Amino acid sequence: MKINISFNSEWNDEFLQKIENDGPWGNWELYKLAVQMEENLIIPDFEGLQAPKHLPQLTPLPHQLEAAKQVVEKMNGKAILADEVGLGKTIEAGLILKEYMIRGLVKKVLILVPASLVTQWAFELNTKFHIPAVVQRKSYVWDSCDVVISSIDTAKRAPHRDIIFNQEYDFIIIDEAHKLKNNKTKNYEFVQNLKKKFCLLLTATPIQNKVEEIFHLVSLLKPGHLGNASLFSEKYKGKGRNIIEDEHLKELVNTVMIRNRRADTGIEWTKRHVETITIEFSPTEQALYDAVSQFKPISDGSKGSAFSALTLQREACSSREAVFYTLKNMKAKYEQPSPDFLAKLDDLFTKVNETVQNSKAEKALELIKKIDDKVIIFTEYRATQLYLQWYLQQNGISSVPFRGGFKRGKKDWMRELFQKNIQVLIATEAGGEGINLQFCHHLINFDLPWNPMRLEQRIGRIHRLGQEEDVMIYNFATKNTVEEHIMKLLYEKINLFEKVIGELDDILTKLDISNIEEYLIDVVGESKTEGEMKIKMDNFSSLIQFAQSMKEGEVHAATGNS
Amino acid sequence: MQQQEIHDFLLTYFNANDCEILENTPAHLTVQLTIEMDKELMNRPFYWHYLEKTGGIPNPAKITFITNPEQAPPDLKGEMIHFGSPRLHQIIQSTKKLAGYTRLFENTTQSKGGNNPLYPWLTMNVKISYQCDRKKDTFMSIGLNLISGEIMEGFHHRVLPVKVTPKIPDYSYTLSPLIMPKSGLARLDTYIRRSFEGDDHSWAEEAILRWQNDLNLLEHFYKDMDEKSDSYYTEKEALKAQYEPNIRISIINGGLFYLSDRALG
Repeated sequence: MKINISFNSEWNDEFLQKIENDGPWGNWELYKLAVQMEENLIIPDFEGLQAPKHLPQLTPLPHQLEAAKQVVEKMNGKAILADEVGLGKTIEAGLILKEYMIRGLVKKVLILVPASLVTQWAFELNTKFHIPAVVQRKSYVWDSCDVVISSIDTAKRAPHRDIIFNQEYDFIIIDEAHKLKNNKTKNYEFVQNLKKKFCLLLTATPIQNKVEEIFHLVSLLKPGHLGNASLFSEKYKGKGRNIIEDEHLKELVNTVMIRNRRADTGIEWTKRHVETITIEFSPTEQALYDAVSQFKPISDGSKGSAFSALTLQREACSSREAVFYTLKNMKAKYEQPSPDFLAKLDDLFTKVNETVQNSKAEKALELIKKIDDKVIIFTEYRATQLYLQWYLQQNGISSVPFRGGFKRGKKDWMRELFQKNIQVLIATEAGGEGINLQFCHHLINFDLPWNPMRLEQRIGRIHRLGQEEDVMIYNFATKNTVEEHIMKLLYEKINLFEKVIGELDDILTKLDISNIEEYLIDVVGESKTEGEMKIKMDNFSSLIQFAQSMKEGEVHAATGNS
Repeated sequence: MQQQEIHDFLLTYFNANDCEILENTPAHLTVQLTIEMDKELMNRPFYWHYLEKTGGIPNPAKITFITNPEQAPPDLKGEMIHFGSPRLHQIIQSTKKLAGYTRLFENTTQSKGGNNPLYPWLTMNVKISYQCDRKKDTFMSIGLNLISGEIMEGFHHRVLPVKVTPKIPDYSYTLSPLIMPKSGLARLDTYIRRSFEGDDHSWAEEAILRWQNDLNLLEHFYKDMDEKSDSYYTEKEALKAQYEPNIRISIINGGLFYLSDRALG
């Protein structure tokens, strides 16, 4: 067969030039040295990893080395790294990148990460891997630096976008890649149009809700690997998936995805302790909660109406500020509201005003004082975040806020303040990803997300490699509210907190529940009576328990036969 | 590569470049750079430019390399040098740049009434890389006798024990080449290319299979699209860049050696 041969004739030309000019000639000692060093740098095999030899100060864990080897040898340098949160996906990515750079297969590299992680990536690549990665701050960086780190939001905007499309990248890394699960977004389109010679997508949660998400992710990496869109949805959507087809899908996905689970790594993890703290409403809070429960903004009984009533109920469990904010938006949304609607709203505003205390905040304060150490509070609502900051301040406790919307520099700064001077960090959901806080081991869930994957992301901020203490998680739930229902179902009956996330993935897939959040909204919002809801919830949890016992059965059977 | 080898490498490099070695223990090395070496390694053109314009007193840098951190004094400040450190690779690149070409004469011991003919040899040290989505290299050193046309493999290692000098020694004279350097280079080039023709190239066949496989998937993915989108063409380009087999010949260094007929044994 004919193989391209490339040869640079510059050396020959210069050599003839030197003969003509009679020198200058190189020193014999240096000449020998050059050959000796080059012989040392020769890589005689296609297989095997060179990177560890080059990184004496780094001690990668066995699963990280194995992952790197597999990506290079079996996956041709295109893979989804989907280890559970905190197993060191960054280390794996660094090893793989280093390997390609040592072998001279990669020179130009683009690394797209959430804004809050840009500095950290640069730091790790430079110090742990000796890779001269540069944070993109000026637009000339795209051209003049070989390894550039940027946030995807910056990269996709003009003028960067066009500059990037004109670069010949050899290697692209995208962190928190689950944000690309929707193929209709600008970010997805941007990444799809990047030239991906070698590419790593990093995510701890490759499937959050729907099986289509994995399709979109894989299609970014290797279009066609899971078929085309129409074929895929025909095969897997809606239809009751039977196991064989699932096995087939799993097998296909596993040829492009590596997913290490905590339990498989054999590493000693610090423990997780979970404590549920039940809060009782004060009379005024109860009144507000009851009022929003009765409230039907659109009285046609459609799903939307149940949804907003639920939202308000959940908010009432968090803070009156959160309720107020939503009501205000509701009022602004209608151009010509009916007098009836306005009267209802006014009534609610009065209830908000009459609410004089926040029982959860009081409990949080008490807990923080007792812990007397660094604490992270997570809340779903920005209004609650602001309120809590104010409330703690009033009680002599300083805190810093953390949100997804913060600029990169501000995020770094907040993290540093928290690490060095401040006792409490209050984060909203959007701020939950992409910040590593393993120096802290107390976490308060002021309110709970209804999607367990998001909860895992929260906990993953502190329960990761590098955490030396046992991790304490405090869940707040208000008695006799939707929150308590959800808490009982999701987090107690199925022991979600102690469980690792992958197991739940498996179970949900087996049950064919593609979107747990929608399912719960349906159960809680559409049930006519308390009783009906209880029955549905019980059904759901026994299903999960059943699936779980089946799974354990499989494991026992497997070990029994071996 | 062992730390000791790296230590020796640094020592040879700086000695060969006339830098004074201020300290040399098994654990570290402190070097006073010359002005030339400061310009070569320290990457501070503005400093040198400024100095030359203002006529200040040049102050080339001193560097301490730590080659064995366990034995080094704990308070010693310096750069840790290991196989992967960028500084080592910078120095390797510099070595290649400074010694890309050489011309040397065998330092013959006087004999036969001082009439020693030296034969011209043209030599090249090359790295041959097989490259697709993976890569491996081989090292090859060959020499061509510019009179007889003989080609010798492993030339570098055979010439290593020979005593050589950059100036033609007294009582020696060089024979004029019958093969001109330009055509000599062409002969070596042909020889190198032939050397891997008969090699096992299943690596390339397998790469093409992987490439074809991904191309098929790609076609399938976009098959419902009448007018193919840009991303289709980009992806196709990317697959080519990823898998296309390639053999790359890169020259490390080479030159002319004038050797007696006994030199290579």
